[in-house]
Amino acid sequence: MPLLDIRNLVTAFHTPAGRVPAVDGVSLAIDRGRTLGLVGESGCGKSVTAMSVLRLVAAPGVIERGEILLEDRRAGAAVDLVTLPEPQLRRVRGGRIGMIFQEPMTSLNPVFTIGDQVAEAVLLHRDVSRAEARARALEMLRLVRLADPEQRIDEYPHQLSGGMRQRVMIAMALACEPDLIIADEPTTALDVTIQAQILELLADLRRRLGTAILLITHDLGVVAETCDDVAVMYAGRIVERAPAAELFARPLHPYTIGLLAARPGGGRSAGPLRTIPGMVPAPQDFPSGCRFHPRCVHARHGGGPEDCVATAPELREIEPGHFVRCHHAGALGEPGRAATAEPGREGRA
Amino acid sequence: MTEPSPLVAVDDLRTLFPIRKGLLRRRVGAVRAVDGVSFAIGRGRTLGLVGESGCGKTTVGRSLLRLVEPTSGRVTFDGRDVLAAGGADLRGLRRRMQVVFQDPYGSLNPRMKVRAILEEGLVIHRLGTPAERLERMTRALARTGMPAAALDRYPHEFSGGQRQRIAIARAIVIEPDFLVLDEPISALDVSIQAQVVNLLVELREQLGLTYLFISHDLSVVEYVSDDVAVMYLGRIVEGAPAARLYAEPLHPYTLALFSAVPSVDPRRRRRRIVLAGDVPSPARPPAGCRFHPRCPLAEAACRQADPPATRVDGHVVHCHVAARELERSGGDPAVAAAAMAGLMAAAPGPSGGA
Repeated sequence: MPLLDIRNLVTAFHTPAGRVPAVDGVSLAIDRGRTLGLVGESGCGKSVTAMSVLRLVAAPGVIERGEILLEDRRAGAAVDLVTLPEPQLRRVRGGRIGMIFQEPMTSLNPVFTIGDQVAEAVLLHRDVSRAEARARALEMLRLVRLADPEQRIDEYPHQLSGGMRQRVMIAMALACEPDLIIADEPTTALDVTIQAQILELLADLRRRLGTAILLITHDLGVVAETCDDVAVMYAGRIVERAPAAELFARPLHPYTIGLLAARPGGGRSAGPLRTIPGMVPAPQDFPSGCRFHPRCVHARHGGGPEDCVATAPELREIEPGHFVRCHHAGALGEPGRAATAEPGREGRA
Repeated sequence: MTEPSPLVAVDDLRTLFPIRKGLLRRRVGAVRAVDGVSFAIGRGRTLGLVGESGCGKTTVGRSLLRLVEPTSGRVTFDGRDVLAAGGADLRGLRRRMQVVFQDPYGSLNPRMKVRAILEEGLVIHRLGTPAERLERMTRALARTGMPAAALDRYPHEFSGGQRQRIAIARAIVIEPDFLVLDEPISALDVSIQAQVVNLLVELREQLGLTYLFISHDLSVVEYVSDDVAVMYLGRIVEGAPAARLYAEPLHPYTLALFSAVPSVDPRRRRRRIVLAGDVPSPARPPAGCRFHPRCPLAEAACRQADPPATRVDGHVVHCHVAARELERSGGDPAVAAAAMAGLMAAAPGPSGGA
């Protein structure tokens, strides 16, 4: 049984302009101790998926369908977070599931010391005294290798650098020994040398504590270097899912292939970059059929069950453990070449 | 990085922002955002300026255009003194120097139609009759891949990538020679970034433009630039032709920076050098070499003396250790770069974190 099993999740926002299905039938599973990278561009639904797991989707967002099963070892069964009553859910948030967000300055409370905030996480979930909670907070700040933890514990968030604040966020997330950490763009606001420190720390903590991580990011490089498995989202759906090494060596969905090919990998002599034509669709106007078809050079519109414009493809297992949502995946020829537009006029934002 | 007659030459540029405190707003110190920067950009060439947030790279770009007033130093554009220019002279220079900012949401006035946004520069510089202006605007839009119909729409009607195209059209509509591109693709989605990079490269070739390309994205800078300079805490620590810098970095900071970039390609992945601590405040830069508190190779000399420039075939580095390795190698940068990489790999990792 996986630690977390998301089945056919649909989360929609009911706006005056109509229903906007930001997450539209997402299924994902994470095993204990594994790191799953959920990647995609803005508006693809990756963060809404993460917020749905914790039922923190803000109104007018509603989880309309699906199950989010969290394994419960003691009960020998799983609880469904979608239907779990609020009091029990509050024990899961910050207890069995820890959270790390992109911008630690807005996630930390500016009027409390960092020691108080880490200790509060412990007090909420454990039956301990204030002194014990503080001792635990100090232990956590040491664990995340914050410089001078004895002094920093009584400082306020604004006295810390961005990297230090993100260490504090990680300390809070880990304070109750969660089984799973959801990290939403944890290093996006940080410089690369600080990002390297934080990624190193997360990898080290995972080795030592066996915590599973759901890492949400737009950075394929970060995923390649830290994740066991990858799921690529586009327009509210998962379009490709595979072990990380497999996905980066043999991407099969035209969108994944396009994303990987669009990054420069050399100097000026390398010729024009390969581009994905068109633009990222907003959730209120996701296209029909395969949602990538307006940008896909392989899209076919000739009727039949494999018509990219009319019929939405299913997520199919093309290789063992490698799932792709494309009618034509596997039959597209040389990966990394065929599926992107030739540089030039058609590649317009 | 020196040319016979560079279009842009910057010599010992300093831009300090005063820190004021108290009732009388007395000056108690200064943020040394740019603290002695020199470089030159030849006509039609692109200098990439890289570094992390707060290193001063954006302030360099703004100082060149005098969007902020530099404290001291010298900037010449096509042989003319930019910092001494005033009034009509400055306006004349600014017609030839334009800028594209990072955030196309913030840099286009939401209350103005694209027509007014593009026309503003033409009006300020008194260029063309109304009919000629329309033709210039249509041509600038076409060059950036936008239809003429965009003129009668507002910025919010466009996507981020399209807005950045409009910002580029605004920059080129008055036919400048030089563009400061300040993180022009950082706010865009990955699939849109490549489109805008290709556009910028195309325009450079078609219009013979010269670029200062400021970015923290090392792969994009390598792809776009002829020369690259690495900034740390208000200074350029290393500069070289792009291919040379990426193949044979000499400065410990450059080595750490390159190694920290995550890559999807295992062949391009380097052993990650994790630096200790954070970038110090530019209001209180460390004595000696500014990188020494974070440098795994720091020695006694690094804590005391600011390292001077060491030059070998267009490769400039400010580092005591690299200077010694260059001397030991008999002036062969490839040998010295290999030695620096070896030293960095052998150095002990950081003990305390950020």
